[in-house]
Order: sequence, then C-alpha cells, then structure tokens
Amino acid sequence: MKLAALQQLFAAAALGTASASEQAHLEAQLQGSRVLPAWQGIEAYRTSVDGKLRRSLEQIYPVCHRLVGEDFFQAMASAFLEHGVSRSPDLGDYGAEFPAFLSDFSPAWSLAYLADVARLEWLWHRAFNAPDQPRLDLEALARVPPEHWDRLVFRLPAGAALIASDYPIHRIWEINTVSTACHDVIDLDQGGIRILVWRDGHSTRLDLPSETEWKLLQAFASGVPFGELCRQDFDLSGTTIAELLPLWVQRGWLRDFDLQEAAAP
Amino acid sequence: MRGAGVVTDSSIQGVGLGLRPPHYADILRSWPAIPWFEALSDNYLGGGLPLHHLTRIRERYPITLHGVGLSLGSVDPLNQAYLQRLKVLVDRVEPSFVSDHLAWVSHGGRYFHDLAPLPYTEEALEHVAERIQRVQDVLGRQILIENLSPYVRFAGSDYLEWEFLSELARRADCSLLLDVNNVFVNAFNHGFDPLTYLDALPAERVKEMHLAGYEEEGRFLFDTHGRAVQDGVWALYRQALQRFEQVPTLIEWDADIPALEVLMAEAAKAEALRSDRLLP
Ligand SMILES: [Fe+2]
Repeated sequence: MKLAALQQLFAAAALGTASASEQAHLEAQLQGSRVLPAWQGIEAYRTSVDGKLRRSLEQIYPVCHRLVGEDFFQAMASAFLEHGVSRSPDLGDYGAEFPAFLSDFSPAWSLAYLADVARLEWLWHRAFNAPDQPRLDLEALARVPPEHWDRLVFRLPAGAALIASDYPIHRIWEINTVSTACHDVIDLDQGGIRILVWRDGHSTRLDLPSETEWKLLQAFASGVPFGELCRQDFDLSGTTIAELLPLWVQRGWLRDFDLQEAAAP
Repeated sequence: MRGAGVVTDSSIQGVGLGLRPPHYADILRSWPAIPWFEALSDNYLGGGLPLHHLTRIRERYPITLHGVGLSLGSVDPLNQAYLQRLKVLVDRVEPSFVSDHLAWVSHGGRYFHDLAPLPYTEEALEHVAERIQRVQDVLGRQILIENLSPYVRFAGSDYLEWEFLSELARRADCSLLLDVNNVFVNAFNHGFDPLTYLDALPAERVKEMHLAGYEEEGRFLFDTHGRAVQDGVWALYRQALQRFEQVPTLIEWDADIPALEVLMAEAAKAEALRSDRLLP
C-alpha cells in the first residue's frame, strides 16, 4: 500500500475517526507483535493521542478544571475532543475553541461564568507564550516628522487582549491560581468587569482599566491611527491623548508603532 | 543570544539531563555539575519565561534541542512556519545538536502529537531522506534522527528497522540519535536481538544516545519515560558503549518527574559505566 493511503488509515484510527472497514483495512497492513495484537497497538495510539490532547487542555485551563472537578472536566474534554482538531505542531495552539464550546455545552450552563473564565485562561496562556518584545523605540518615534503623526498607529504588546465579562472572572481566576489570594466570598452580582491581559517582561498580568482607558485600549487594539484618536471625543477627565501616550509607553501598554499607509489622493 | 554570555564551545560530552520545567528553579539556584542539558524545542518556540530560563541556562551549559514537531515521515507538505520557528530558536540557542524522530505526527493538516511509525519501504525511505535534507538545508546543519518504539509494525516492509535507519542516514547525510531504551523495548516487544540492531548501525553517524525507563503492561513494554532506567537497558547500554564509545548520553524522564538529584544519580550510574568502574 502507498504511504499516503497507509497514513490516512493510520491517522483516522489514531484520532478515533476510522470506520470499521477502514480499521479492518489498516489491521491487514499491520504486523502485531508477539505480545500485543495489532488492534491493541492501534488502540494504544488512540489512547495516547487522546491523553496528550486532554493533558494539554488541563494545563491551559487549570481554573476551569478546579471549578468543575476532575470528572466533569473530563466529560467536557471528551465532548470537545469529538470536534476539536489540532492544526498545529505546537500543542499550545490547541484548545482555542474550548471557551466557545463551553458556552454551547448545556451541562455546564449552571456555572454561568465558566465560559468567561475559560476565555480568560486562554488569553492568559497566549500572553504568557507571546513572543518577547522590546519596549517601544522612543528614538524611532522621535524621528517621525510631525506631518506624519496623524498616521501613527500604536500597538498593544504582542499577545495582549481585552476581555469583558458580566462576572468578576479576574477574582475567580486569582483565588484559584494565586495561593496567597484573599479568599473572601466573591459577589457574582458585583457588576461587569473589563480586563487587559498582557505580559510585562516576564510577568503575565491582568490589569483593570478605567472606562476611559478601556475605550482607548480598544481603539489602539483595532489600529485606529493617532490623528483619528485625537479627533474622537474621549472623556479624558482634563488630560489629553498626547499627555497619556508617554505614560502608557512607560507602563508598557504601548509596545510598538507603525505608520498607516497614506490615503490615495 | 549571539555574543556576550554564550558558551562558545558547544561540543558536548558525558551524560546530560533532559531540561524540564520543574527543575528550572533548582538549576538557576545551584548551577549543578551537569555537563549539558537537552531542551525540548517545542517548549521554547514562543517567548516569555520558558525562553528566558533556557537562555540563562544556555549561558552556563551546552544545550541540545530535541523536538517532536517536524513530522518528517508525513506525506503532508513540510510545515514551513514550524521550521522557521525552529530555525529562530536554533539561531538563538546555538545548540550542539538538533534532533527529531523517525516518525510522523500529522496527516491532512491534523496533528495528533504522537510519534507514529513508518513502514520500512523504499518509498518511505526516499520520502523521509528527501525531507531531512530539506530541513538540514534550511537549518544549515545536520540533524539527528531518533529511533522509535512503536506499538505496531507494518507488514510488507522492504527493510528491517536497523537497515532502514542506516540507509536513511547515508542517503540524507544525517546523524543518528540512538535511544537504547527504545531498542531494548522494541527487541522485547517485536522479538529480535538488540545486538544485531546495534551492530548494523554506522557507528560514525551515532552522535548521541538516550536512556530512559520503560513500564510493562500485560507483557508489552511501553516506553513511558516515567521511571528509572531498567537493568536490561543498562546492560544493553554497556554493549552500546563498546560499539559507539564515548557518545554523549542523555537521561530522559518525562512523566512523574522526580527531583533533580534522582536524575543526577541516574547520570552518575551511566557515567560510571562509561568509565567502566561499576559492573551492574
Ligand atoms: Fe528518546
């Protein structure tokens, strides 16, 4: 049998998607060992693949795991594995769709905040593993001539993300990950929360921006150029964007910039 | 990382340890007397803390990079994005060796993250040799290919495993990473003489050896990397040392990872065999 056909059969079997006839077809191509019949060998691959994907979910979503307990987490993982396909050699890329899956997973609906906690865990994982990045190059910025300032687009750190939730998910996250966190009862009705997830050097952080900061962060995240920002009507309580910029650069929230292409005349 | 701080001599000798996250703190605190570490390249393709730790450790120790993601045997196109990320890491770490497996981990763009075996056919040989050459061209260096311990073997092979590996190394002009535990486990599971295997390999191409622990389940040996090296593997290692002499050797431990001292004791055992001071 040609290599391509053989790999197709083997992959389907290892991923648990092979039909009975494919399975039989594959077994005919295999030589069992003295101590392990071929079908058990294939089963061992299926178990191993399943285990690797599960362990990866457990590592990326430890708070969800704690919140629902081992048995329920494994049940969620089993259901997710049915459709979750890994498309990258990096296992750390697997599980991006887990939060969306949880939103639709009716057995988990009694934990209304679970999907949002999962979203936060995914963003934390991405920020943690984001590429390293130097601070914003102030000298390069100073070399941009004033007539181009309008077209400056400032960038949040690589891997930074904004997440809003109706639940205090940052507190839920903290209590379940930081051993020294204060274990007060969390008031689920305390109102919505907005979080900037980002990495400052080697420490991954959850910051809670003010309402104005949030709007500005959203604008930066969507690549609104500086000129456009200045024309928008942000309530900056007496300060200006030009005054805020250096503070945000210093804080590390703005990490890079580029120049938007000039509009065609 | 080129320049200041890098250990310029990247040649390795003696018995190294697999670098695992639970040991970062110990290593960075006590800088133990370990001749080199093998890092799992797939854990350092991003940035942040893992890469920072590796970079600091690289300042004091030679490093080898060992990966599972190249999917060298797959009929899928080579994953160029992955290869580029690997190249960035290689350029940064300046490892003594870069290795991956005689295996495939993906099909149709789907990754199953487990090392699947190849049939030992002429078609597979040609296919893998050509891909190894392309990887070596991109990385600008030879890579090492490691033998597996598969749960199944394919019928209708043109070569025996050791013949396949030897011919592959010749055609691809690559080196070999001989996992002694895998040879032992395979010989037991599939019923062949492990010494035939060792004797058949081109000694000049074997640049590194692996030692690890297996576990037995229902009379089948699984290469779990979850316990100490077993007696039979130590005995085979002594034979391998006669054949491949002072090839650098790694203690691999990936499941139920114990304290660094336990790994160092395993390394000391291997070191003693190398200087022939201890008879098991
Ligand atoms: Fe190995």
